[in-house]
Formats: sequence, structure tokens, C-alpha cells
Amino acid sequence: MRTNVITSEEREKAFAPTKKPDVIERQKLDVRYHVEDYDVDNRPRRFLEAFAAILKHTNYRLALEHFIRVSTKCSRCAVQCPIYQATGDEHDIPCYRSELLLSVYRRHFTVGGSIKGRLTGSGHLTDEKIEEMAESFWNCTACRRCTLECPAGIDHALITHLGRFILSEIGISPRALVVSTREQLEGKTGNTSAIPLPALVDTLEFLEEDIKEEKGVDIKFPLDKENCEFIFIPAVSDFLMEAETLMGIAAVFKATGGSWTISTENYDAINYGLFYSDRILERVIRKLYAESERLNATNILIGECGHASRSAKYYVPVHCGGEKAKPVLNIMEYTYRMLKEGKLKLNPNVITETVTYHDPCNIARQGWIIEQPRYIIKAFCKNFVEMTPRGTENICCGGGGGTVSIDEIRPYRTLVGGKAKGDQIRATGAKYLIAPCANCKKQLRELVEDQKIDCEVVGLHDLIYKAIILDDGQTENQKTNRKG
Amino acid sequence: MQELLDFARGPLFRLSFIIMILGLIRIFILDVYNAIKAYKRAGDKRLAWGDAIIKTLRWIFPIRSAFTRRPIYSVVSILFHIGLILVPIFLLAHIQLWKSGIGISWWSLPNNWADMLTLMTIAGALALFLGRIGNKGARMLSRKQDYLWPLLLILPFISGYFCANTVLSPQAYQFTMLIHVLSGELILSLLPFTKIAHCVLVPLSQFIIALAWKFPAHVDDEICASLNKKGAPV
Ligand code: HEM
Ligand code: SF4
Repeated sequence: MRTNVITSEEREKAFAPTKKPDVIERQKLDVRYHVEDYDVDNRPRRFLEAFAAILKHTNYRLALEHFIRVSTKCSRCAVQCPIYQATGDEHDIPCYRSELLLSVYRRHFTVGGSIKGRLTGSGHLTDEKIEEMAESFWNCTACRRCTLECPAGIDHALITHLGRFILSEIGISPRALVVSTREQLEGKTGNTSAIPLPALVDTLEFLEEDIKEEKGVDIKFPLDKENCEFIFIPAVSDFLMEAETLMGIAAVFKATGGSWTISTENYDAINYGLFYSDRILERVIRKLYAESERLNATNILIGECGHASRSAKYYVPVHCGGEKAKPVLNIMEYTYRMLKEGKLKLNPNVITETVTYHDPCNIARQGWIIEQPRYIIKAFCKNFVEMTPRGTENICCGGGGGTVSIDEIRPYRTLVGGKAKGDQIRATGAKYLIAPCANCKKQLRELVEDQKIDCEVVGLHDLIYKAIILDDGQTENQKTNRKG
Repeated sequence: MQELLDFARGPLFRLSFIIMILGLIRIFILDVYNAIKAYKRAGDKRLAWGDAIIKTLRWIFPIRSAFTRRPIYSVVSILFHIGLILVPIFLLAHIQLWKSGIGISWWSLPNNWADMLTLMTIAGALALFLGRIGNKGARMLSRKQDYLWPLLLILPFISGYFCANTVLSPQAYQFTMLIHVLSGELILSLLPFTKIAHCVLVPLSQFIIALAWKFPAHVDDEICASLNKKGAPV
């Protein structure tokens, strides 16, 4: 990956102040994202207390001990980081970012470090360092590309993840994420977009009518059915913004006869805990799982959303019983399986435009979902072009790690974070950009607008919806043929 | 001079060698111990072993990345490491020392190969050093030890090369040999306490990362209790 550094004009836009001076003064925090008012006294002491508590009850010490020993400061990670590539600022080199927290660990939590620190009277945690971390850890999109490169095997994104967690314990987290999560865990509506249940029911009825009108088929969005094979939970924002994705998914279930349900008590798989706090991550996971138990579903099926899928896939087992926990799938895995088994028919003559596919970091980096969507796309899109790099090495949309939900930093996201992605998209010349992730979709739409790229951002099931063959009779015929 | 050299070759060598071995064993065991502790605490004990193994091999034999990402750096680093590891262990002269010391010996490198590898390592170390100075990002990240290590590593290689390949007066030879032995021993005894610990720890990295992402099952309760945040709103 090679990106040109942004122009000074773009830099000015991306880094323009977003807050009034008196807010910065009051919160003692000169960062671009907004935070709620918090206790600004004794931040270093409280930061260290939180750090200590977290070390005590988690597995991070293992990683930190290892990282401080092997780090060789070679700066190779710089090549991979889309942020550094765009800003050219050494403070954005992943290894520099990590060192911010590693140095605190070394100074305050290792014997050698604290002896040395006391003798020289230096290196202890200060307010300035906390501010620098608060800025740096949220400049990162947690895309985990740098991890691919580090020859010593340091996982810089794990350190960012931990750094944000500690900061959140002293009250420093983007307000946008905290407020949504509060609504999700403690609010009346129980979801991050604050959609009340009656509105959800209305929306679904409306979608059903739409499908009837467009496809001439009766398709229901089943609510609160017990004992289904799948409890389906998308990012709740899909109900507001991604009607076509949802209709596509409903159509796939119709065509394949899958047994599925949407829950009326938890219809939001968004888990901002993955971005700022392991404690929140755990609560959201437990809430999600409880709902799957209430409805006695066999599997948990997450919609087109990268971080929601990753957090459920990897943390349902962690918090809900290990191996015995219900399996978690992403919707694309289901659709892929159905297509492979011949239960899904797609018309190859509907989508003739050039199509490209964006791998959401959270499902692609670890190699989980890469080939499945491509198999589906190639089954009905004639004109498919790849971006390079792709798959496990994909480039982040620029809004990863929760930053996409922070509206006040949009110029930063689309000009800095998404710079490399923009170049990639432009190079494909695609008409449709498939991004099967609620976060990526929002970010990429803003990105193509801000960078003036002519292309439409869609979900995978949006296109499936256009091409799906729902002829009941025909499907029945084929069934009997196969039997015979 | 001769006594000093004998002392350096004898007791001092044994001391530095023991420091290195015990030091490396200590950090390796600490890492493994931490890993086992983390594994016991992990809420989900299924690890992607295969994935970690593949990634580890890829890191130790960075052939693929050598050609895709930063080719020059990678190739230099690989060549540098090859000499660094092979020469000290497989040089005929070193093996003879082992043989006279504890009576074991093994296969040795032909001398002209050893010379070539030595020059390669010196060149590699210099290149890494210059690369570090020449790169703004690396300069910003580097600590003292990052500059010092390549330079320190060059010392035994240069002095050894001179001893083996040039005609020196006896005093000059002894002096050069003393530098060779002492710098070599300094390296051995510093290994475990500096970033060179990576020679035993890097193979564990991928397993450790995989484990670190497996959290314990009740972080919320426990951390809340520790920080007096029980029942506090989000
Ligand atoms: C099996 C053994 C070893 C492995 C797998 C290994 C691996 C690595 C890796 C992955 C790096 C990262 C950066 C790079 O590629 O340059 C590195 C750097 C380095 N290694 Fe090793 N290493 C080993 C043994 C050693 C030994 C025995 C020494 C010295 C006595 C050594 C000295 C160095 C130095 C000085 C660097 C830093 C180069 C720089 O300035 O960028 N390595 N090693
Ligand atoms: S995770 Fe991504 S954005 Fe963050 S430092 Fe690494 S490469 Fe850069």
C-alpha cells in the first residue's frame, strides 16, 4: 500500500477544532471527539488504579510483558498503517502509539521500570501523557493491519484496545459511543439507535408491503417465534438505513425455507464495548445471549455488520459457556451455505454493472469471512473486480474501531482514515461498492461523497434482493425433480 | 595480556554463557507461565492453534513478506540473522574450543563460508544501523539499545575476522582476540535482558496474541468490584 500524504488544505479540514475553547479548558482534553463531563482531578492516579485493576482481572499482562521484551522499534508497521500513510506524522506510527501505553506499563508495573523511574525521578504518568493517549488511541481505526507486519509479532491493536479501555474507566470515551450504549443497556428502548418497539413493528410491516409490491410475494419478518434455528440480530441502524439489506435477507430466508426470528426485546447487535471497554463488551454480549435463550433459538445469526459479528462470534463463547455456547454465524455464511446447497437461485442477468467488494476488517482480518461473499457475488454479478490488497490484508474503510459513529470527526475519517480506501475504490471504477457492514456502509457513503467518487455503496443482500428468484412454483418443481 | 585472555576465555566465558542460558530460560518460562495462567482464566479455551503455528512459521521464515512489503529491509535482516546465528555456533575454531572444553563437537562451516557469512553479517548490521539513522520514523522510535546493538554485534565479527584472516603481530593478535572474546561475552550476558530476548520469545508471539484476545469470563463484575463501581451507570 502506498498513499500520498494529504495536502495541507485537507489537513486543515481534517484536523480543524471541533470544540469550543471553554469545553477543552473544563475537560482538560484537547481531542477532536466530544466527551461527557468527567472528573478531571487526579487523572494519573486514577488511570493507574484502573490499569492495575484491569491487569489484575484480565489477560493483558501476558501480552504487555511479552511486548516490552520483544519490541525492536524497527518502524516497519508504518508501511501498513493507513493513518500514518495519510498524515506522514511519526506520532501515527503504530509502534509509537503502542509505546505510549507500554511505557506506562514499564514504568509503573514492572520492577525494573519502577526502580529506574524512582532513581531518575522521571517517566511517571502525567496529565500530558494521558491527553496524548486519549488523542492517539482514537486516531487509530483499530483495523489491525499493523499486526500483519510487525516482525516481532506485537499486536498494536490489542494495545489500542486496552488503552481505550483504561481511558474509559476514568471517563474519557467518545460521547457518541457512551450515550448510545447507555440507551442500549439501561434505556427504555434497549438499543443504540433508540428505536422504540412500535416503530420497529411499523418498519417491518412497511418492508413487507414493499416486498409484496416489488416482488409480488408474501414475505413475513417473524417476530418472537420460539425454537427457531436462527435468532437474527442486525445492527439496529439497519432498520433505519438499510431497508434493502433487510429485505434481501428476508427474501433469502423465504427462498430457502429457513426458520428464523427477530426478537422484540433485543434487536440490536451493535457492541461498542469492543471499541472502548471490555466491561461493556461483556454486558452487551450477555444481553444478546439471554435473548437467544429466551426464544430458545439454536444459533445466533448476526446481520451485515463486521464488529457486531466479530464481538458475538468471539465473545459469546468467552462469556456464555465456552464450547457449549450457541454457535454464532454471520448472515453471509448462511446465504453462502444455501447457495452452495442449491437452495438459492440468483438471476445472473440483473446486475450488469461493475461491482467491487470491501472486506470489513472485523470479519476479514482473521480470515473468517473472505471467500464466502465472493462466491455469492460471482454467482450472479458478471462484472466483479477486486481491490488490492484484499482479504486478510484489506484496507480499512477509515471508520473502524467505532470512529464512524463519532460524527464530529467526519472530515478526519473521510480525508485521513479513508484516504487509502478512496484511492482503492477509485482504481476499481466500480458502480456498486459492496460493504457488508453497517459501520463500513456509513463511512464509505460519507467517503465517496467527501472524496467525490462516483459509486453507490450497498450491502451484499441489497444486490441479492434485486437478483433473487422467488418463484415458488419453480422451486417446488426443482425439488420434485431432484427427488425423482 | 595472555593471562587476561585466558581468564576471558575461561571463567568469564563460562559465567557469561551461564548468565545467557539461565536468563533466556527464565524469560521463556515466565512467558509460558503467564500464558498458562491466562489460558486457565480464558472464558473460551478454543485457540486457533493451526493459525498461530502458520503465522509463527511465517515470521521465523519471512520469505513471503520479504518480497511483498519492505523487501530491502527484510532481505538485509534475514542475511544478517543467518550469519549472526550460524557463525558463532558452527565456526570450526569455536567448535574446537567446545571440544577441548567439554568434549563435544558438531558439524562445522567451511572456513571460506564462515568468512563470507561474517562479512555479510557486518554489512547487514551496518545497513540496519544506517537504515535506522536514515529513517525519520525509526529515529523517532529508537531507544539507545536500538542503536547500540548493531554496533556491539559488529565488534566480535570484525575482530574475529581480523584474527582469522590477517597477519598480525602477536600483541596485536592478542589484543584483537581479547576484544573479540570480551565483546562476545558482553553480548551473551546482555541477551536475556534486552530486546535480543526476542531470539527465544518471538516464536511465542502469535500464541500470546491469540490468548490475550481471549478474555476471562467475569471481567465486568471483578473490575467493578476493584474500582468500587458496582451498580454505577454506563
Ligand atoms: C531464532 C532466533 C532469532 C529470531 C527468530 C529473530 C528474529 C528477529 C526479528 C523478527 C527481528 C525484527 C526486525 C528485523 O527483522 O530486523 C529481529 C531483529 C533483530 N535481531 Fe533477531 N532473531 C533471532 C536471533 C537473534 C540473535 C541471536 C541476535 C543477536 C545476538 C539477534 C539480533 C537482532 C537485532 C540486533 C535486531 C534488530 C535489527 C534492527 O536494528 O532493526 N537476533 N530478529
Ligand atoms: S490498527 Fe490500523 S489504524 Fe491502528 S495503528 Fe494499526 S494499522 Fe494504524
